[in-house]
Amino acid sequence: MSGGVYGGDEVGALVFDIGSYSVRAGYAGEDCPKADFPTVIGVTLDREDGTTPMETDGEKGKQSGTTYYIDTNQLRVPRENMEVMSPLKNGMSTWHYNIPAFFLCKTAVLSAFANGRSTGLVLDSGATHTTAIPVHDGYVLQQGIVKSPLAGDFMSMQCRELFQELSVEIVPPYMIASKDSVREGAPASWKKKEKLPQVTRSWHNYMCNTVIQDFQASVLQVSDSPYDEQVAAQMPTVHYELPNGFNCDFGAERLKIPEGLFDPSNAKGLSGNTMLGVGHVVTTSVGMCDIDIRPGLYGSVIVTGGNTLIQGFTDRLNRELSQKTPPSMRLKLIASNTTVERRFSAWIGGSILASLGTFQQMWISKQEYDEGGKQCVDRKCP
Amino acid sequence: QTSTSKSSLTKKIMTTGADVRDILELAGGDNDAGPISKKDIINSDKKKAKKSTETLTFKRPEGMHREVYALLYSDKKDAPPLLPSDTTQGYRTVKAKLGCKKVRPWKWMPFTNPARKDGAIFHHWRRAVEEGKDYPFARFNKTVQVPVYSEQEYQMYLHDDGWTKAETDHLFDLCKRFDLRFIVIHDRYDHQQYRKRSVEDLKERYYNICGKLTKVRAVSGTEPKIYIFDAGHERRRKEQLERLFSRTPEQVAEEEYLIQELRKIETRKKEREKKAQDLQKLITAADSTTEMRRAERKATKKKLPQKRETEKPAVPETAGIKFPDFKSAGVSLRSQRMKLPSSVGQKKIKAIEQILTEQGVDLNPMPTEEIVQMFNELRSDLVLVYELKQAHSNCEYEQQMLRHRYDALLKAGGAVTPQSESGGVPDSQAWPGPDDIKTEAKEQIIDVVGAPLTPNSVSRQNDLIIELQVFAH
Repeated sequence: MSGGVYGGDEVGALVFDIGSYSVRAGYAGEDCPKADFPTVIGVTLDREDGTTPMETDGEKGKQSGTTYYIDTNQLRVPRENMEVMSPLKNGMSTWHYNIPAFFLCKTAVLSAFANGRSTGLVLDSGATHTTAIPVHDGYVLQQGIVKSPLAGDFMSMQCRELFQELSVEIVPPYMIASKDSVREGAPASWKKKEKLPQVTRSWHNYMCNTVIQDFQASVLQVSDSPYDEQVAAQMPTVHYELPNGFNCDFGAERLKIPEGLFDPSNAKGLSGNTMLGVGHVVTTSVGMCDIDIRPGLYGSVIVTGGNTLIQGFTDRLNRELSQKTPPSMRLKLIASNTTVERRFSAWIGGSILASLGTFQQMWISKQEYDEGGKQCVDRKCP
Repeated sequence: QTSTSKSSLTKKIMTTGADVRDILELAGGDNDAGPISKKDIINSDKKKAKKSTETLTFKRPEGMHREVYALLYSDKKDAPPLLPSDTTQGYRTVKAKLGCKKVRPWKWMPFTNPARKDGAIFHHWRRAVEEGKDYPFARFNKTVQVPVYSEQEYQMYLHDDGWTKAETDHLFDLCKRFDLRFIVIHDRYDHQQYRKRSVEDLKERYYNICGKLTKVRAVSGTEPKIYIFDAGHERRRKEQLERLFSRTPEQVAEEEYLIQELRKIETRKKEREKKAQDLQKLITAADSTTEMRRAERKATKKKLPQKRETEKPAVPETAGIKFPDFKSAGVSLRSQRMKLPSSVGQKKIKAIEQILTEQGVDLNPMPTEEIVQMFNELRSDLVLVYELKQAHSNCEYEQQMLRHRYDALLKAGGAVTPQSESGGVPDSQAWPGPDDIKTEAKEQIIDVVGAPLTPNSVSRQNDLIIELQVFAH
């Protein structure tokens, strides 16, 4: 990586992007994270009560009696007393590691950089939230951030309800010893594994969720226009088989479930009509910004996040936005085509940023942090 | 055989890799002990290089990359290529000659960044040769110059009722942090502690202070340039933009509809004016030819050639037929001059023939000099008459139409507002009482345009017919 060519300088930086669904980690300067694992920590408990483990401040992450597992076989194999928790909620401190310098940057800014823009509206639809964040000149405009809870997890919930309606049981693969092929729509016939250990509820739920997420990713599709019963009935069906052998053709449900993202008025399980659809989220966010930058924001709407990979998402979004924007406004949607780029765009942005020669002055060194404390983080990190 | 193969083998060894040579400590080919350069790898032809430097009109400054220079001073003014290529050879793909020189080692070395304030030491990979040199990216550390004022200066000059000192300090602190990006500053402004300020307020205060400071600090005698920020204009502009953006589709459609209507009205107006002009031309032509003829006849009767010269207004070509002047060398038939030019349409020819036969005139008279001339004139006048007749009947028809419409409107009562669009027939023709109509329905669009038919033209037809009679007998 010669310095003069594109302004890069390799100092051996590490980039971490911690999301609510997965954690991405790797070296700066590379185009894809080396490690991508779910944001869950498996904790084995030696105690009897089996409640949430103790917090971990000050220590290297190892408490007496509890060991933490991240994305290892330990987590995927059924074990007794393995609780699953999310590090974001319970908080993990990393200051005890010997880090010479660090820098925090907002994911929206990094996503924008990864797509080659320093100004734009970043629409991030991930597992827990769909957010629209206006970025101007590399800085986030905090007063324009609009959040909506309709995202990947909401979809999973709806899929779960669909299976309940169809009276289909979700059986995670770890329980299945063997299965027989059955006719379409017929109840599954499978044999349970013998000698299964006593797994905790949270772990079982986690495994079921992976099955549902697989269904969600492969079957669901967003329709081009607002959901219409007749149009949906004519859509081609997709065949899907659950791990326990139950297989079925899904037609109208494929379109109905993701419709909740764009038009939450008809979606089940939502209290009242206060939720905003994705199109509304974008327009509200832009509407809260200064009028001079609105054309700039509409001219680069950056779509990121794993949930946007649902088939038809970007087309529908494009259609909705072109209807809602004033006719003189030039609308451009930027959505990278590969799954890697969309899921990891924040990480890639971080990798780009950390490898720039001109960035090296912006690190917060240990010494600065010791002197300044949290304020210096607020000042230096945009 | 084995010896030859051995020697060829050694030859091969010798030609590949300066490293090998280095290891075996053999004498190398070229003894440039200096660091490898691009030329050695790509092997650009030295002769060609000389040629290219000669043909350059401007000398490229030292150290500037060739591609950057090409962007500035390109002969063809083409757009610069997206991927600048490095081959100086043209279309041949150049093979990199690797291994011709010694390896340049890289080293993991510590460095300080002069742009940093704390002097932290980081490590990175760099060529061993460049150890000790400055960090090249430090020169990109540029910031915007935000003026700094002292306590005194504030008390003396910068005091303002709407702004406390703390707020002003906060504003300037944000300006420095965000390099005068006012939108970001406005976003990060502390609205809880201070009042809610708009972007224009912030800009106004900032530029105000800057202006005052430059004035105060300027060396006496010089007139410093101060940037004046017009906050009122900015506010109005933004309000206008808001209104523009929040137009409903109905409003947009209405605006477009109105613009279209305006265009239609304008085109119709142009058409009317054009028609009126044509008519006017026709009539003046008719009048002038009459005058001319009368003058000629008088002149010939009185045998005064002078009048003929003075009274000869330019007859526009649209009136009558212009017979081509025969300028042939040598002998030609006079009957050729009598031939109608091809530009005269079928209808006109038919009309001429009709009138001639009606009047009993021979369609093809004997082409004597006088007859030829008079016959041509006659036919020209006939065409003129025909055109005038047409125009006359058109105007009469329009008159009728408007009369009917006027009556209809009167019957319907003044409450009915007539539409501005009309089918095919445009409205012209000054009606005897246009003022009455105007006062009754103001929205009605009536153009008082169109040359009123002169009584001359009506009597003109009669004159012509009399002429014909005279001519025939």
